[in-house]
Amino acid sequence: MKKKYFLLPVILLIALFFSSCRKNFSNVEAPESYIGGSFNEVFDAFWNGMNNNYVFWDIDTTNWDNMYKIYKPIFANLDITKTSDIQKSVQYFRAMTDGLIDSHYNLTFTSPISDSFVSPAYDRKLRAGIIRPAYVFYQYDANYYLDSPYVYGIDSVNLLNGNPTEAIAGTIHKNILYLGFNQFNLKNSYTGTDNGVKKVLQFFLDYLHNPPSDFKGVIIDVRGNGGGDISDLNFLIGNLIDNKLTVGHTRYKSGNGRLDYTPWAPAIVTPQTGAIAVKVPVVAITDIWTTSMAELTAMSIHALPDGNGHTVGETTWGATGPLTDNEILNGGQFTAANFLFAYTSSSEFKYIDGKIYEGKGFPPDYYVPFDLHTFQTMGDTQLEKALSLMP
Amino acid sequence: MKILRPNPVAIFAIYFCYNLFCIQKASAQLSAGIEGGYNKNYLVTNNANRAFTNYQPLSGFTIGIPLQYKIADWFAIETEPTFIQKNYSQQRSAFFVGVYQENYNNYLQLPLMGHFMFGGKRLKGFLNAGLYGAYWMSGTVKGVMPNILDITNNQKPGNSIYNYQNPYSFNEAYTFNSRKDNRMEAGWAGGLGISYLLNRRYEVFTEARLLYGFTDQQKKYMINQVPRYNTTYSLNAGVMFHFKK
Repeated sequence: MKKKYFLLPVILLIALFFSSCRKNFSNVEAPESYIGGSFNEVFDAFWNGMNNNYVFWDIDTTNWDNMYKIYKPIFANLDITKTSDIQKSVQYFRAMTDGLIDSHYNLTFTSPISDSFVSPAYDRKLRAGIIRPAYVFYQYDANYYLDSPYVYGIDSVNLLNGNPTEAIAGTIHKNILYLGFNQFNLKNSYTGTDNGVKKVLQFFLDYLHNPPSDFKGVIIDVRGNGGGDISDLNFLIGNLIDNKLTVGHTRYKSGNGRLDYTPWAPAIVTPQTGAIAVKVPVVAITDIWTTSMAELTAMSIHALPDGNGHTVGETTWGATGPLTDNEILNGGQFTAANFLFAYTSSSEFKYIDGKIYEGKGFPPDYYVPFDLHTFQTMGDTQLEKALSLMP
Repeated sequence: MKILRPNPVAIFAIYFCYNLFCIQKASAQLSAGIEGGYNKNYLVTNNANRAFTNYQPLSGFTIGIPLQYKIADWFAIETEPTFIQKNYSQQRSAFFVGVYQENYNNYLQLPLMGHFMFGGKRLKGFLNAGLYGAYWMSGTVKGVMPNILDITNNQKPGNSIYNYQNPYSFNEAYTFNSRKDNRMEAGWAGGLGISYLLNRRYEVFTEARLLYGFTDQQKKYMINQVPRYNTTYSLNAGVMFHFKK
């Protein structure tokens, strides 16, 4: 009789146990794995790619679930064999991504719409009326402000995304050091074979390491500078400090959930061999086209330990999250179903003041807006403001 | 004409309760004790889309106060307020060897199980089966990751991410996110063990137990959410004190 008592509940509980209550695991595919034979696939690859790889979901106000509900049926009705539908899809991708705060973010497409481009940050600034042509000012400043001779150089060998690097260094009043350049590929130029930029940088570093007794300050012009290689943060700012400098924190995705994040890691600038801490004012000149590494450079100057770093000009573009390949940090840029490439940050950057400037831009200490008429009649007022900060 | 079909589960429950009630008076006894042990927890999820990234089980420990109310010679109701760790790690391989994150999670757990006994007078086997509820009290994350904004000054080509980015070691309290983290967990609890009655009052035992969580560690906060479940295997030992009948 005892055996009967024992066996019945045991069987029942074992049956319940193995019936389980867990949800089924659906496949989680990398967006690159989708073939893209239909717009359904393209949508799934893109939507899931963003869902799992975009790093700003904690602060971005875009309702990505709503995008799924609205656009899933719309894409299901598109025919991937029709050119008109393929073209139409661009406007849907633009609408889906319109509010994303990642200011690196852009979408590029494969044929037959390889000339299409989606950039939410650009579109937002265009609507706000703050887009103007991008200029670099170092050539103008060399002609009208720098002592003669200055050093100009170009590196057409070590290219960044196919573009040569151009730089100018010199002095103003013999005791203010000036450096202007179009993109960050400086370390590669400096360590590369003989090139014009290497000579510019050699002048800059020699002056920094052996400054004159009446050394008054440093101006680093990153206006119109679209950023580039992250190694340049150590190369450039690391020559202005003699101790490690923490300028903020970064974090990455730690899982597929939108809110899965690693802890914050300190963003550190490491001094370079032979560097001497610069105690005189260091001023970064910025404008609306100061982007990515150029912004991090301005922010690092602002964070110099002796309080001698300043920024002058306009609020920067607002693309502060560093980028690398998706596999490196398990997040960021991806290709969706051979149809589009989503260029997006791999990490979130929080400045040393605890604020995230992504999508907002880093505001200057001294706001001096660019105005073409003023520039043509009165000269470079942003540079003049920077000069006024020198003792 | 409507045909009423008897529910076999209900019939079984009534039958089971009736039998327990009939024999309760003869065997009722309260016991309490202490139990502790080692466990290994597996995070069950899907991250097949991630390159060179896998979840691995991690060890932890369990300590609890088992309380039994013996209803029959062969059956008791058991509960056990328990402190239990459910740890796991995420490890990367190949070029990324050395990148990992360990999650140490502390839970307060309360199982409610049927305790089925069989065997002799002193040496007995037993089987526990039931449900548990748990509350995720706290956690710690520990690991090493590449620091994208701490670039090595002297990059040397090599087959490691740390040739290019300095490693960042962390060991800090886990910060709960109220939008994401589901701190309540429920699941099945089952165990198999043996006990030895030392005298009328004391009995020692050892048990292998499986905890099979069926609630997601995350709240439902996004479409196409990949669930994350805990499955915990533990090996426990303890002692029970039998109060007077």
